[in-house]
Amino acid sequence: MPSNHRTPAPAAPPARSTLRALVPVLASALAAAPAARAQLGTAHSRRAPDVFAITNAKIVTGIGPAIERGTVVVRDGLIAAVGGAVQAPADARVIDGAGLTIYPGLIDANSSLGIGPEGATTTAAATRGGRGGGRGAAPAQQGAPLAAPNSIHPVGLQPELAAADLVHPEDDAFDGPQSAGITTALTAAPTGIFRGLSALIDLNGANAQAMIVKAPVAEHIGFVAQRGGGYPGSLLGVFAALRQELLDAQHYAAVQAAYAKNPRGMHRPETDPSLEALQPVLSRQIPVIMEASSQREIERALDLAKEFSLRPIIAGGEEADLVAARLKAENVPVLISLNFPRRPQASPDADPEPLRVLRARVDAPKLAAKLQAAGVKFAFEDGRLTNWSDFLANAGRSVDAGLTADQAVHALTAAPAEIFGVSDRLGTIETGKVANLTVVRGDLFGGRVTQIFVDGTPVDVRTPQGSAAANVAAGTWTVTVTLDEGEKPVTLALQQAGDQLRGNIQGALGSSQISNGSVDGSGVVQFTASVTMVAGTEEAKFSGTVAGNTIRGTVAIVGHPQGTFVGSRPGRGGRGAPPAAR
Amino acid sequence: MKSLIALLLPAALAAQQAPPAAARVAPTLIRNATILTVTKGRLENSDLLLENGKIARIGKNLSAPAGAQVIDATGKYVMPGIIDPHSHTMIDAVNEGTLSVTSMVRIRDVLNPTDINIYRQLAGGVTTINVLHGSANTIGGQNAVVKLKWGRDVDEMLFPGAPPGIKFALGENVTQKNSQQVEQATGRPVRYPATRMGQEEVLRDAFTRARDYKATWDDYNARVAKGEKNLVPPERNLELEPLVEVLEGKRFVHAHSYRADEMLMLLEVAKEFGFTVKTLQHGLEGYKIASEIAQAGTGLSTFADEWSYKIEAYDAIPYNTAILMRHGVVATVNSDSDERARRLNIDAAKMMRYGGLTEDEALKTITYNGAVQLGIQDKVGSIEVGKDADVVIWNGDPLSVYSTAQTTFIDGEIFFDVQRDQAMRERMAKERIALEAADRAGRRTSPVVP
Amino acid sequence: MLRLFKYTAGLLAALPLAAAAQLGSYNPNPGPQGTFAIRGGHVVTVSGADIPNGTVVISGGKITAVGASVAVPSGAKIIDATGLMVYPGMIETGSSVGLSEIPQGAASTVDISEVGSFNPNAQAFFGIDPHSAHIGVARVVGITTVVSRPTGGIISGQAALINLAGDTPPKMAVEPRVALVMQLPRSGFGGRGFARAAALQQGQNVDANRVRQAQLDSLRDLLRDAAAYEKAQAAYAKDKSLPRPAHDVVLASLIPALDGTMPVVFPADRATDIRDAVNFAEEMHLKPIIMGGADAPAVASFLKQHNVPVVVTAVMSLPSREDDPYDVNFTIPAKLAAAGVTFAISTGNPGSEIRTLPYNAGMAAAHGLSKADALKSVTLWPAQIFGVGNLMGSIEVGKMANVVVTTGDLLEAKTDTKYLFIDGRQVPLDNKHTELNALFKDRP
Repeated sequence: MPSNHRTPAPAAPPARSTLRALVPVLASALAAAPAARAQLGTAHSRRAPDVFAITNAKIVTGIGPAIERGTVVVRDGLIAAVGGAVQAPADARVIDGAGLTIYPGLIDANSSLGIGPEGATTTAAATRGGRGGGRGAAPAQQGAPLAAPNSIHPVGLQPELAAADLVHPEDDAFDGPQSAGITTALTAAPTGIFRGLSALIDLNGANAQAMIVKAPVAEHIGFVAQRGGGYPGSLLGVFAALRQELLDAQHYAAVQAAYAKNPRGMHRPETDPSLEALQPVLSRQIPVIMEASSQREIERALDLAKEFSLRPIIAGGEEADLVAARLKAENVPVLISLNFPRRPQASPDADPEPLRVLRARVDAPKLAAKLQAAGVKFAFEDGRLTNWSDFLANAGRSVDAGLTADQAVHALTAAPAEIFGVSDRLGTIETGKVANLTVVRGDLFGGRVTQIFVDGTPVDVRTPQGSAAANVAAGTWTVTVTLDEGEKPVTLALQQAGDQLRGNIQGALGSSQISNGSVDGSGVVQFTASVTMVAGTEEAKFSGTVAGNTIRGTVAIVGHPQGTFVGSRPGRGGRGAPPAAR
Repeated sequence: MKSLIALLLPAALAAQQAPPAAARVAPTLIRNATILTVTKGRLENSDLLLENGKIARIGKNLSAPAGAQVIDATGKYVMPGIIDPHSHTMIDAVNEGTLSVTSMVRIRDVLNPTDINIYRQLAGGVTTINVLHGSANTIGGQNAVVKLKWGRDVDEMLFPGAPPGIKFALGENVTQKNSQQVEQATGRPVRYPATRMGQEEVLRDAFTRARDYKATWDDYNARVAKGEKNLVPPERNLELEPLVEVLEGKRFVHAHSYRADEMLMLLEVAKEFGFTVKTLQHGLEGYKIASEIAQAGTGLSTFADEWSYKIEAYDAIPYNTAILMRHGVVATVNSDSDERARRLNIDAAKMMRYGGLTEDEALKTITYNGAVQLGIQDKVGSIEVGKDADVVIWNGDPLSVYSTAQTTFIDGEIFFDVQRDQAMRERMAKERIALEAADRAGRRTSPVVP
Repeated sequence: MLRLFKYTAGLLAALPLAAAAQLGSYNPNPGPQGTFAIRGGHVVTVSGADIPNGTVVISGGKITAVGASVAVPSGAKIIDATGLMVYPGMIETGSSVGLSEIPQGAASTVDISEVGSFNPNAQAFFGIDPHSAHIGVARVVGITTVVSRPTGGIISGQAALINLAGDTPPKMAVEPRVALVMQLPRSGFGGRGFARAAALQQGQNVDANRVRQAQLDSLRDLLRDAAAYEKAQAAYAKDKSLPRPAHDVVLASLIPALDGTMPVVFPADRATDIRDAVNFAEEMHLKPIIMGGADAPAVASFLKQHNVPVVVTAVMSLPSREDDPYDVNFTIPAKLAAAGVTFAISTGNPGSEIRTLPYNAGMAAAHGLSKADALKSVTLWPAQIFGVGNLMGSIEVGKMANVVVTTGDLLEAKTDTKYLFIDGRQVPLDNKHTELNALFKDRP
């Protein structure tokens, strides 16, 4: 195991939600029987029937028209029957589905669910301590990078890092996504440049292995520089490091092949798991999922993929509509983030938001329909959102903005299944497929998720507890930057998605979009911005912390002494009284 | 037949095969202007025809081709688009400062075509910029020469055929003497090199390694050429490849430097390794060694009158450009600043005061000489038939503080125009109202999730 | 160090221990206050009509005659200005000349900000280095007078209005204490010193808005204490039977500002900061001058209504907002002029770049300000704003003889200066830059 990764118990207890549903688990409980006994202190595990029938429900099968009134039969983790004329088997537990709609289990097409505690972006991470720490211990490990064992490449550039080795069920890690009707998620490490190999997991299971549907699915790439002063420390270096590692992997293959053919007289080439892991990427056996939002980020990602003949999938994709023709031509799917930008809390005296930011907020719901019209393949992903009610709400806003409900359902079910090569198992309600179902009172976009079935096991959903780590840094900040050239008032508008920060700086240092922004669970923020001072235009590296409604830290500019910045955003009670109020 | 092919082609492919944008642009005839050609003097009451992205004709009483837009420029001036040889505009990252040699990084990778400063510079008559890596390390990253085609994709903005370059940096920014407290505060050791001596060593070491790398590949290629089979090619090294290109004279070195001694050091190292430094950037003390710079065949790009902002800038003088030009150095004035880039015409005029440059010489410091320094003088930098139609109409003499750019053309297309700008302001105001309304309306309550 | 001038040795002898000598002295001393007649030039008086072929007579430090046909006193040194232009010297009111020579890497040349938040008794006059190389370089473009101010903290100190000629501060000073400089803690956060240092050190629990409130409260307390101090001292002066109040240099130094005899410069660019500063000044009965003024057009009617002048330092600054028009700052002066707000134009630069002052005004003229107003904004209007409008800022009889004779339009970059008079003394045009130019221009 990676040294800084909490080792799961040899066999984890059955997931809490399973127990709460008061339905003994069969297949999974059998697999985890010894542990379950140990946990429950019983001498035997129950072997309750696992046959269910939901009757009288509307069924959106995802293939063909919806069945207005029908029955789904689940047996042994699979869909045993579905149809308008299907009868509930005699041995089934019958659920009256009147007023309910049954959808294929929703798939979150890109996430870091189940990966922690380093992953700091899952809701569970906020309540967990570090390694060896008890509940509520200081979050010393939050945001620490995930490491692959015995890698000879630095953390963050380890493509062999396998989500399948990292993922583990946690008490309440899946409450949020389950409440949004999500039964299945693609998950990968949330930080780094080469983020490693993702796994498609079902969001319920006795242990990590039981959850895995497919692994590896894709290599993940994030274009975020290393924190802490090592190379690459900027977006410039990120591209150079990616290129060099891919070139090294190509060379590695050639050397290994030569050695395999004739080792005599040849120095034994060093085994390098990182370069090994890139071989299926270079041979296009597995795709690369590249985090890219703006038009230029997407184009850069596509350019890099083209340079090495990779098979790219764009994740995030906020401005993918502007690259639609190319995405279509190059057959690149987009995993659309449902973490739509939110209107920030802004001081009344903050600068007005740039049109670009307003546009992004207004246009976000229109993206899916535009990609649909352009013939670009897409699925929905969570964009590391922390407020899970946004997931379906924003999918619904995409429907309001022109996507049909069927298309939206497709993007949440069959489309990701197809993109990840599991449409033989997931994505539609068909006999023989995995019994992943999302049950909604009313309609998916506007109704209420009441229950999900994961691998044939019913899970009652519950609203997640408020997540403390959510949007630590987001907001419109009024900031004073103190440099050798004096005090510069600026407005800093920050948007947060997981550990990534975007936004812009306006004011006495000129206006620019920030880049390389990141934030961790304890509120440590980092970003760079282009600033124009008397001597010229420079790159300023901001590092600081957010505490409450105050942000403060230091500013490093090449050739200048260190500066500082301090700022505030309006609290819940609004800002303080105006200074000269009389 | 043609229409059948068109039907069979997917739409995107058809779009790719469409003629380049410039060819679709209608010709423009600018009438009765004072034309500052820069290389061929001032032409009064003359016409200029822009066609197919090029300067097609210069003369008097030219006739407008069919479909041409005609601009009456009576009382107005036309000059070549300004070239800024030192810019950090439109990039999402400036420095990869973690290592002393970062030749593997490319400005091309981080260009941001949506930077508003592009537009502001167009409004100051700038059409081409040399986007450089910062000055954090001895050998920085690879540059990008860009035409400021606001609104276009990066690919369309890259200057076609501009020779590649790389940024070097010497002096205080590299030794970090002014920012060492950062290191002390973080407890990190001071980065090597911390002296100008160490900078020489870093250069010598890097080029020595580059020579070996080249030799390794030359050996390999020779063996392949001899017909040897089953050879494993050497590793590719993205750090050393650009330095090999420098050694081969295929990549220009643009070296940030201030003090005369450090500039001489670089020229010596370059001589020893057999390449020519294309430009010294800033080169504030260049005037102290003007003959040596001229002899090395090196150009110099400097500030018009910035000085005294740090120790190594204390002996900077505004006569630098004039002294260098009188010694035969190709000298330019640059901005290094999103702010100053908008008024390089005024900086050029200062060169007439400080050192007595002629009008043409002053204009050259922001046009033709920059083109020479970037190896693009066959395409831009002066108003000559056959060159790119990168020209700017001013409402008066561009060397006057009272004049402003009215219309900026790149490849014959208008990318800034004062009238259009006014219309754009109205559009933006309307868009803001619409967006704010949509933003308010769009915040529908999230469905309740149990 | 390079010293070409023959006067240098004498200067050093006169100042044997001058700290300034560590960077050399590059500013040749002006000659004596003689009698000069500048003849045949195009005289731009600024206050009145131009005189196309006029004569300006200088004597005893003052302008004694101006006109198309004025008598030249016998013994006057004749300056032939045929084909040249004659202007009043420009006035840069946003500088810190002489307080900061090399801001990076040479901390010992920077004496611009005192420690702590409240330094009303820190006087620029006592910190100005008359041998700063910036002085000789700036005056040759025709800047004859500057306001040099301390910066930083909440009350930064007192600015001095000085001529750019003279080998000691007393010889340079026109108004050694011309204005108090006060940085109101900003909306959001601002000001330096104890409160912020404390906030930074305490880290987690300090709310920036509360810190700002605390700073404002401290500032109000200080000003109220000073008012009480003034009242007590005045009462005691009248009636010695009262208990003798203790003396306090800090409180005493605030009295001219509270009296309204000394204006208070408030650096403020954002609309809210400008409004806050004006409201605060009125609350405390101060006489405000806004310095910066990037957003001043947005609050122009407010400024006009409150009769508050603005020193615009932002003409050449980048637009502060992404969607601002490209010329939003270039047009600030034109908009203020149209709204009837009193203003001056300044570079806002501490020292080395103040020589770009004329181009700031020129840029404003290129963007809607009349050329005549552009010239006024760097001559007569700054003089008036800082209370020396009767002394300088135009070519009028009785005014201080700060006169520049140029080859062309004063605001044009290519224009060169031929003669320079400050306080009625002819000033040599040599400086650090001409010296280095002479040393190297013909180096083989």
